Amino acid sequence: MAINKKIIDYIDLRLGIRDLLQKNLTEYLLPRNINIWYSLGAATIALFAVQFITGIFLLIYYIPNTEQAFASVQAIMNEIPYGWLIRYLHAIGANVVVLVLLLHMLSALFMSAYKRPREFTWLFGFLIFMVTLGMCLTGYLLPWSQLSYWATTVATDTMNAVPLIGEPLLQVLRGGSAVGQYTLGRFFALHVMGLPLIFGLLVSAHLFCVRRIGVSRPPFGPDYRPWEPNDEFQHEEYPDGIPFFPNYTAEEVAVIAFFLALTTGITYFAPWIFLPSDAFTPADPFVTPEHIKPEWYFLASYQILKVFPNEFFGILVQGVIITFLLFLPWIDRTHERRPAKRPIFVALFVLGVVGFVGLTIWGHFS
Amino acid sequence: MKNSFLLLLFALLFLFPCAVEAQQDAPASSCIGCHSGMQGRLGEPVEQWQGSIHQENGISCSSCHGGDPTLFTMEAMSPEKGFLGVPSNEEIPEFCGSCHVGVLEDYIKSAHGQALGEGGPQCVICHGNHSVKTATLELINQESCTQCHEYGRAGEIKEALAETDQIILNLEDDIQTLHRIGIATDEMKGKIFSIRNQFHRLFHTVDVQKVRNETEDFQLRLQEVRTQVEEVRSELTDRKVIGAAATALLLLAAVLGWILRRTYKKDEEQGRVRKTKEQVR
Amino acid sequence: MDADVMEEKQLKRRRAVIVSLLGGIGSVLTAGILWPLWRFLNPPGTTGEEATVSIPREQVGVGQAHFFQYQGHAAVVVQNAPGEFTALSAVCTHLSCIVQWQPDKKDFLCPCHAGRFTATGKVISGPPPRPLPSYPVTVSEDVIVVG
Repeated sequence: MAINKKIIDYIDLRLGIRDLLQKNLTEYLLPRNINIWYSLGAATIALFAVQFITGIFLLIYYIPNTEQAFASVQAIMNEIPYGWLIRYLHAIGANVVVLVLLLHMLSALFMSAYKRPREFTWLFGFLIFMVTLGMCLTGYLLPWSQLSYWATTVATDTMNAVPLIGEPLLQVLRGGSAVGQYTLGRFFALHVMGLPLIFGLLVSAHLFCVRRIGVSRPPFGPDYRPWEPNDEFQHEEYPDGIPFFPNYTAEEVAVIAFFLALTTGITYFAPWIFLPSDAFTPADPFVTPEHIKPEWYFLASYQILKVFPNEFFGILVQGVIITFLLFLPWIDRTHERRPAKRPIFVALFVLGVVGFVGLTIWGHFS
Repeated sequence: MKNSFLLLLFALLFLFPCAVEAQQDAPASSCIGCHSGMQGRLGEPVEQWQGSIHQENGISCSSCHGGDPTLFTMEAMSPEKGFLGVPSNEEIPEFCGSCHVGVLEDYIKSAHGQALGEGGPQCVICHGNHSVKTATLELINQESCTQCHEYGRAGEIKEALAETDQIILNLEDDIQTLHRIGIATDEMKGKIFSIRNQFHRLFHTVDVQKVRNETEDFQLRLQEVRTQVEEVRSELTDRKVIGAAATALLLLAAVLGWILRRTYKKDEEQGRVRKTKEQVR
Repeated sequence: MDADVMEEKQLKRRRAVIVSLLGGIGSVLTAGILWPLWRFLNPPGTTGEEATVSIPREQVGVGQAHFFQYQGHAAVVVQNAPGEFTALSAVCTHLSCIVQWQPDKKDFLCPCHAGRFTATGKVISGPPPRPLPSYPVTVSEDVIVVG
């Protein structure tokens, strides 16, 4: 015991760990009426950690070559001990990450947490979401199954609809006129190196914003007062708040454990939910499988493209929606954050969610 | 073990030329290009072929009828391009047998084959032609067989085949389920494919005694595959036990975390957020 | 006031129980993760347990050496006299460099520190502390089986 204390004292004297922990854990006070939705950020980080770890392990045996990719994944699933577990955790975890990320964004939207002075937090968060979808899309191709091959062919093909630069852009994206070895190479590079790097930078920026400006006060309850315009930087403090550790970390532990349970539950008992049968057939550029569908989170986008008779128009609509959401904090500039006092916003929010879910279901069954 | 592998190799060897040929004309077939627009006798085969077992496996017009499906002129159907056209009644066994060699061999020796040309049935009488489906026991039925003779012996053969056929069907289903969750099933599938082909060719001898004699051997070989399937399944069960434990532990952790949070909430309600210094110590 | 203190004590006790339970679950799960990862890194076949290696006889002429992989490392088979084959590890016993066959001198030379071995693996000169380990060889009409 005494030797432990001595070691800790030695380190603490040089790095000030105790002070750091104290300031960021026990003395870091959160609003009293903080709710469960605030823990989704931590859940996302935990789930991404799982993705990074399983991803590195998969990288050990995966071969990014069109001749060997499918066989290498097959070997991971069948020959390498527990390879199936790591691969399934990675593939299913990706779906759970997107789900939690969506919930995290929806709660930030509903509570209007993106409003001044937290515009940058939202902006970086939204970009994290886009990069995540990019990692999903690029990762999808790597097993080189029928599903990978044709989902990527269809997804990248939409690029063609962009006027003028569409075709050369598609050429660069695929590294040729059709999906092939060069596509696999660049998607692999993006998936394991390029996008995770950008992702790391964006997460750092996002977390920096969160800590710098302070957690937003949930816009509920009789004590809530709208934010007063302020021309100077101000860290939002809650002197009468509750400590982050241990009071709120308990809640985060609960939520993280829940989503990890969801991931392992699906992994062990229903992996087929996220892996259609085409995922187990090697890619064949000469045979397009019937009913090829994108992952669930792309179904809404897929359905929009199908609904519009003109592909370019479909892409344009999605571009507008994405740009609108990205710059929402600069468009929606009122100071009021209480949903009860923002009927139009809440109506639009519900409409948007219903629209997304509706399009997803429609896309699934069309 | 070694034996079945050889047989599989054999089956593949014979199927391979057909499959390769089909692959080559799959992208652009002039046969389908022209004939699909035609009426009656000349157009119907295209539609019938759609959804057939041949279409599913990429066996296209020229695989059987010959000709050059890459030419978009009438020359595609010239004898120089290997065009065979429509086989006569007596030519049909040779026609189908160019790929289904084993079946042809047994058929020719059988009573059916011996009577070819004298009212004996050829392939398409039972199997149909362009819309051909995977062969099942249903092909042996009162209606078809009694076109020529009484059903008695046919019924006996069907009975003799039924048990083994059911074993094959069940195994195929089980293997498909394993494949669906990422188990490498190619080897098992290949074995079943080979056994199934050999077993089905056996029927074409239309010799009840022979079927009965060989059934035991087939069932033994099927048992081998069954053991393999069961091994995988028992491992999957083990996995599920571990999975259930891991998931349950995580859920328990979630519940415990939640209860822990509630204890702090009690503090917070009573304004007992303690001084932080005390907590660190 | 007293009731309050009582309740706080009770809460503290409950917390201690929950935290130790969580700790227990956490350590069980951690072990349950580390074990698969450890196994994942040690797949079958990487230890090179294959029992034998077959080499076509015509690949090894008289007085010639043929290098191949055996049990995960380099090995060599030499035909010293017609029909007389010797299989050795090709890994120098000094610092694990791969020895080279000298056809003219009919011996092995390690390129790293000039250790020399006879065609049957005995040390002639140089730093190697031990002879090259040898493997059993079975010769049939046209195949040499090592191991």
